[in-house]
Amino acid sequence: MIPDDIALQELERDALTEIVNIGVSRAASNLRKMVADQVILSVPSMEVVTKRRAARLIAEREVSDLIAVRQDFAGTFSGRALLIFPQSNSLELVRAVTGDEMSPAEIADIEHEALAETGNIILNSCLATMANMLQRSLTMTVPHIVRGDGSSLFEVGDDAASDGLVLFLYIDFAIRQRDIRGYIAMVMDLPSLAALKLLLAEFIERIVGNAA
Amino acid sequence: MTGDDAQRETDGRTRLTLAAAGASGIWDWDIAGDRLYVDDRFAALYGLDGDMAGRALPTATFFSAVHPDDRARLRIAVAGILGGAERFSKEFRLVRSDGTIVWVHGRGQGHADERDEPVRFTGLLVDVTERRLAEERLRIAQTAGGVGTFEYTDGYATVAVSAQFCRLLGLHPATALPVRTINALVAHGAPIVPEDVNAATEIAGEFMIVRADDEETRWVARRGEIMRDLDGPGFKIMGVLYDVTEAKRSEAKLRELNETLEARVQEEIAVRMQAEDTLRQAQKMEAVGQLTGGIAHDFNNLLTVIRSSVDLLRRPEISEQRQKRYIDAIADTADRAAKLTRQLLAFARRQALKPEVFNVLICVNGIADMLRTVIGARVELVIESNCEQCFVEADIGQFETAIVNMAVNARDAMNGEGRLLISLDDQPSVPAVRGHASAEGAFISVSVSDTGAGIPEDVLPRLFEPFFTTKEVGKGTGLGLSQVYGFAKQSGGEVEVTSELGHGTIFRLYLPRASTPPDAGEETRSSAQERGQGRVLVVEDNEQVNEFASDLLVDLGYETVSASNAAEAIGVLERLDGEFDMLFSDVVMPGISGVELARIVRERWPAIRIVLTSGYSHVLATDAGHGFTLLHKPYSVQELALVLQGRAAL
Repeated sequence: MIPDDIALQELERDALTEIVNIGVSRAASNLRKMVADQVILSVPSMEVVTKRRAARLIAEREVSDLIAVRQDFAGTFSGRALLIFPQSNSLELVRAVTGDEMSPAEIADIEHEALAETGNIILNSCLATMANMLQRSLTMTVPHIVRGDGSSLFEVGDDAASDGLVLFLYIDFAIRQRDIRGYIAMVMDLPSLAALKLLLAEFIERIVGNAA
Repeated sequence: MTGDDAQRETDGRTRLTLAAAGASGIWDWDIAGDRLYVDDRFAALYGLDGDMAGRALPTATFFSAVHPDDRARLRIAVAGILGGAERFSKEFRLVRSDGTIVWVHGRGQGHADERDEPVRFTGLLVDVTERRLAEERLRIAQTAGGVGTFEYTDGYATVAVSAQFCRLLGLHPATALPVRTINALVAHGAPIVPEDVNAATEIAGEFMIVRADDEETRWVARRGEIMRDLDGPGFKIMGVLYDVTEAKRSEAKLRELNETLEARVQEEIAVRMQAEDTLRQAQKMEAVGQLTGGIAHDFNNLLTVIRSSVDLLRRPEISEQRQKRYIDAIADTADRAAKLTRQLLAFARRQALKPEVFNVLICVNGIADMLRTVIGARVELVIESNCEQCFVEADIGQFETAIVNMAVNARDAMNGEGRLLISLDDQPSVPAVRGHASAEGAFISVSVSDTGAGIPEDVLPRLFEPFFTTKEVGKGTGLGLSQVYGFAKQSGGEVEVTSELGHGTIFRLYLPRASTPPDAGEETRSSAQERGQGRVLVVEDNEQVNEFASDLLVDLGYETVSASNAAEAIGVLERLDGEFDMLFSDVVMPGISGVELARIVRERWPAIRIVLTSGYSHVLATDAGHGFTLLHKPYSVQELALVLQGRAAL
């Protein structure tokens, strides 16, 4: 289902997880400055799956509808990054980011901007770190908010476009002791994933060298 | 031993002790200064010399004792921290100098300066070898036993689960699942992960779920404990989940079996009753078979009387007195023959078991002629009654069969010659027989005694078993005495046998005396000599019988018209509409049957009285009259007269 030249080896997956961890750590650091409070972000695991499987993974775990911050990126590898939360969780995130002083009506008012801003910090940090660590450059579009279920977020249809692959990462948030869970998904086509795999191999070579 | 040696030995012991205790060590990686500092416990775990603790070491030391297979992975993780990642959490293996392997868990933190540049990397190293082993055992136990575990802390949105837990629910294996994801799989009823547990300390329950992957409906059981005051104000549930679908299915099957038990028992009883019915009929036919030989012999005698009387009558010079004597002889003989066949047909008739109150003496006398035929001329039949009102409640047909069976047995025991005594007695009780206790009460006994060879003692206990016989093949099936036994038991009685070799055998049938005798009045038969009147249509396909019947009717004072079949009869009725008072028709005829004809006549000419007649046993066995008066063939003039006058008790 996933070609061998695309599937990540265990070390490559470890390496990518660490790179993304560096990215979310930077994001956490930025968020800390924004909310002046403890923010912990980590990515415990990741995998490369098809769009269909990604949609099913989310559907299995999330009963409610989803809300996502979307940013497209282009460079040596190109694609679309999504920061996904269960809809029921998004107001909680906004409240955590903005502080508890606001009324529910006010929170609903600024939900859109607050989410777009938070998503931008996290996705930007991740993508920028990836570009940096892999010694390449990326350009990014402005964030968009999208709502829907797993299938609509990953644009799973009956057409061949559904065959695209997704870099699927679980992220844990802890802001002000609140448990908020979310996902980062990077939808890429096969050439982009092959390019990413090459860059990861170079990265591992640099880090591990002959010691492995 | 020098001082240095002693010091080294002490250090070695400390290291071993620390390592054995699974103690934790700490490290401090100075990123800017490119130096590593470790404490003595870290050094012990890594197998470093004790004096390395606290000293600035090359950072490569961090990877020195790491198992080669884990080294690359660890380097990448550390590279992440050096690149700015904040959290470090890795499990990896250390190889000791003696070759043994220790699993450790390194948990660390990256520290950045005010410009977000990583400067230090600190952490804690814990020996987790024991835990890894325990986890491995647990994982194997969970997989082998199909048991999934879960852990839920009150207020959390997610539940910590095992891979097996996910597999049971058809979910992609994960370490944590949202509560709602789990509970959404329950088909109906309470949730698997409860939101509120009140004061309970244990949770148990069974849930019908629809598995997420194949959407199969399964049953899972949940067991667990609820803990409080562990690490917070709320409760914590630690539980297990396992599949009980097979058990549930067996349970449902068992329940269904239970529910249909009654119906199946009834069905079984019906089958058994049918089998018993068949056996009873077989027993009766066995008796009929036994009768046939005797009957044939008897009939030949009767026919001889008739034949010779006719021959004598044919002689020209015969006196009127002798003529009358021969005619009377023919009539008497024919009557006897008719009575015999009637008894035989009535006896062979298939009928439902119907207990009724009857006089045993009358009944025995009623079949005496048949019994004489059965036992043959050389056996003397004696019937004696020592009771006043010998009424019992039982099935008459079965009773007669039992008497015939015992008589046949007696005949064979006497080899066709001797004395057969049937005696009726009042009995105050039934003696204890075959292990049954004696029973007090009013009984009537019917004893059948013979003067035969007697029954050997070893045969006695098996006497009443079905299909047990001492007779040659073709002489008996062994059903006779089993019928006697079955009948006695069914009627609330008993059968007892006493025998003396060379002197004879007594079968004694006990039946409960009936307290209310039926209307014991003798059938009142008025004179048949009353003259009949009216016009009768006689329908009979046998020409002689038709002629004979017409003659009798004319003799009785009726006018007759004959028809040889139903179609002809209808033609006559149509032609001479309104001129008939009565229809006297045979039942079994070619074309339209007598019963159908009777229906047509009842429909079209309701004023006409209808009497049917038949000599066929199967017609007699079924309710062939279909509500019409039925006269059995052969019939006497007297019977015919009574029936036509509508006075016969049939």
